[in-house]
This record gives sequence, C-alpha cells and structure tokens, in this order.
Amino acid sequence: MTEFVGLISIVLTIIFYYGAKALYSRISFVLLSPLLVAPFVLVSCLLTLHISYSSYFVGGKWLTLLLQPAIVAFALPLHKHYETLKKHFPEVILSVIVGVFFALLSSALLGLWAGFAPQIIESLAPRSVTTPLAMTISNNLGGIPSLTAVFVILTGLLGIILGPLLIRLLPLHSPIAKGVLLGTGAHACGTSTALTIGSLEGTIASLAMIFAGLVTIFLSPIIFPLLLKL
Amino acid sequence: MRRMHPKATIFKLRKVLIAMVQIGALYCFALAGNYLAEVLHLNLPGSLIGMGVLFILLHLGIVPYQWVVSGGNWLLAELLLFFIPSVVAVMQYKQLFRQEGLALFLIILIGTVIVMVSSGLAAELILNKRWGKTL
Repeated sequence: MTEFVGLISIVLTIIFYYGAKALYSRISFVLLSPLLVAPFVLVSCLLTLHISYSSYFVGGKWLTLLLQPAIVAFALPLHKHYETLKKHFPEVILSVIVGVFFALLSSALLGLWAGFAPQIIESLAPRSVTTPLAMTISNNLGGIPSLTAVFVILTGLLGIILGPLLIRLLPLHSPIAKGVLLGTGAHACGTSTALTIGSLEGTIASLAMIFAGLVTIFLSPIIFPLLLKL
Repeated sequence: MRRMHPKATIFKLRKVLIAMVQIGALYCFALAGNYLAEVLHLNLPGSLIGMGVLFILLHLGIVPYQWVVSGGNWLLAELLLFFIPSVVAVMQYKQLFRQEGLALFLIILIGTVIVMVSSGLAAELILNKRWGKTL
C-alpha cells in the first residue's frame, strides 16, 4: 500500500509539474510558477485524501534525490561559459559577499525585532543558500536544519516572484547584475528563473549561487554570533 | 494520435536512454563527493564537491562535454520539479505557520528584497567602475 501511494505520488507530481509548466508557458504570470501551482494542487489532494506527508515522501524522495546530480550538472554551464566567468569573477564574488553580508544582517535584525528564539533566527540565517548547503550551515550555527529547508524553499518561492519584479524596478542593465541578483537572492530557484531570461544570466546566477553558499559557510560562523549580540 | 516512424521512435528512445545513463553518471559524481566529504572531513555537501570535480575534469578535457551534456541539460531544465516535494513539505509546519506565519513571511520577504537589491546594485556598480558605463 505504501509503495502504491508512493508510486502515485511520483506520477501525480510529474503530471502536475508538466501541466503547470504548460500553463505557465501560455500565461507567464509570476504567481502561476510551476513551483507554486503544482505543490498547491498536490497539497490540496493530500489534505482531501488524508494522506500524510511521510506517505507522499515515500515517492517524493526519488525526485528530491535527483537534486544531487542536478547540482553536479551546474558544472556544465560553468565550463561552457568559463571565459565569461573568468572575466567577471571579481564583480561576481564581491557583490555576492555584499549580498551574503546583508542576508545575515537582515536575518539577525529582523529576527530579533520579531522576538524569535535564537534557534529560529539561526535557522533563518542561511535561507538564501541552496538547500544542502543551508542545512549544513544551519546545523553549524545551532539552528534546526529541517526548518531551514522550509525557509530555503519559501525564499525560493518569493525569489521567483520578487526577482523579475526587482530587475524591472532597479536600474540594472547588465546580464551580470541580473544573474547575481537572482543567484544570490534565491539559490537554484532564482537560477532557473535566470536561465529563462538568458544563458549568460543563468550562468552568472549559478556561479553566484555557488559562491553565496561557500561565502555563507565561511562568513556565518564568524559574523552571525556577533550580529545576534547587537 | 500521430504514429511516429519506427526508426524515429528508436532514435528517440536511444536519446532518452543516453540521457538516463548520463544522469546516473552525474549522480556517481555526487556519491563520490559525499565519500570525499566524509573521508576528508569537509563541511561541504557531496553534490557541490562532485560539481567541482566534474568542472575540473571537463576543463582538462578528461571528461568530454558530450558525455554528460544531454542528461545534464535535462536536469537543469527541469530543476523546479525536484524542488516540488520540498515545497509540499511546508504542509508539515502548519502549527508554526499558524502562530508565526505572518512574521516569518515578512522576514523572508523583506530579507530577500534586501539581499537581491544589495547584491544586484553592487554588481552593477562594480561593473560600471571596472568596465565603464558602456557595458
């Protein structure tokens, strides 16, 4: 029975994903992103049929597992655009450091202002970084990794909506700045949005995403305890 | 439904199989990365180490681009699919979101705007400084 529910879970997730993707290709409205529509339909189904998340995840984990080779696959655009990356390395790394600093600062200040427990704030801190890295960092800081995974995905969702909006509002002209904004602000979700804008934007975004993860790993244990004392 | 020519079907099937083998190969890089992280006590996810190793091998020409490109591009194109189970997981945190939902939502929203604006503007500023306004 559990295997059956698991199998149905995978099939339905794939069907709803491709359905939502087809819808999004016709109506490119940010709130109709496949990452919002497909989970919304799935959660509605699970709640109506009284199926728990753990039963769903028996199947769902196989899709989550594919994230690992997908992260490895980011080596492809990095290799293909190596010359561009080499040329723009300084501006990408510097602006990512700026972004990471503001991510940690905003998490600490806003979290303290909302009166959250330190453990929740530490779980919020690495939310702009891709999930496997964010969970590692959360654990290092003293947060709750599974809660961080939820904050990461919410950041991704909001990033998909906010990213294109901010790109239109801000005086950004270069594909480099657009890629940095999406990759630093919304990890792999932002990177997939950047890939739909252009191949250069996507490559820079994947580079920014990777740097943001690495910079956060090294900076957060030094800066974050100090920020929490503010 | 339009029937495909048998040869075209076989060709398509071959392409799918090649992509699947390549995805398997990319997954092996992640597994090798996990192993390296454990042995060398690196505080990094294996998939990221795997990415670094693959990048170096591609760059040195040890692994030809063609060996991983069709599987890799499929994974990158359908990236959002692999995030869906994690989004569905949010339903487990009903309690937390009922109590602190609005504050958490606002913090993540404001925080994400701050990160995006600061990093995007910094990049544009540094680009203009370094390459001039013409870029």
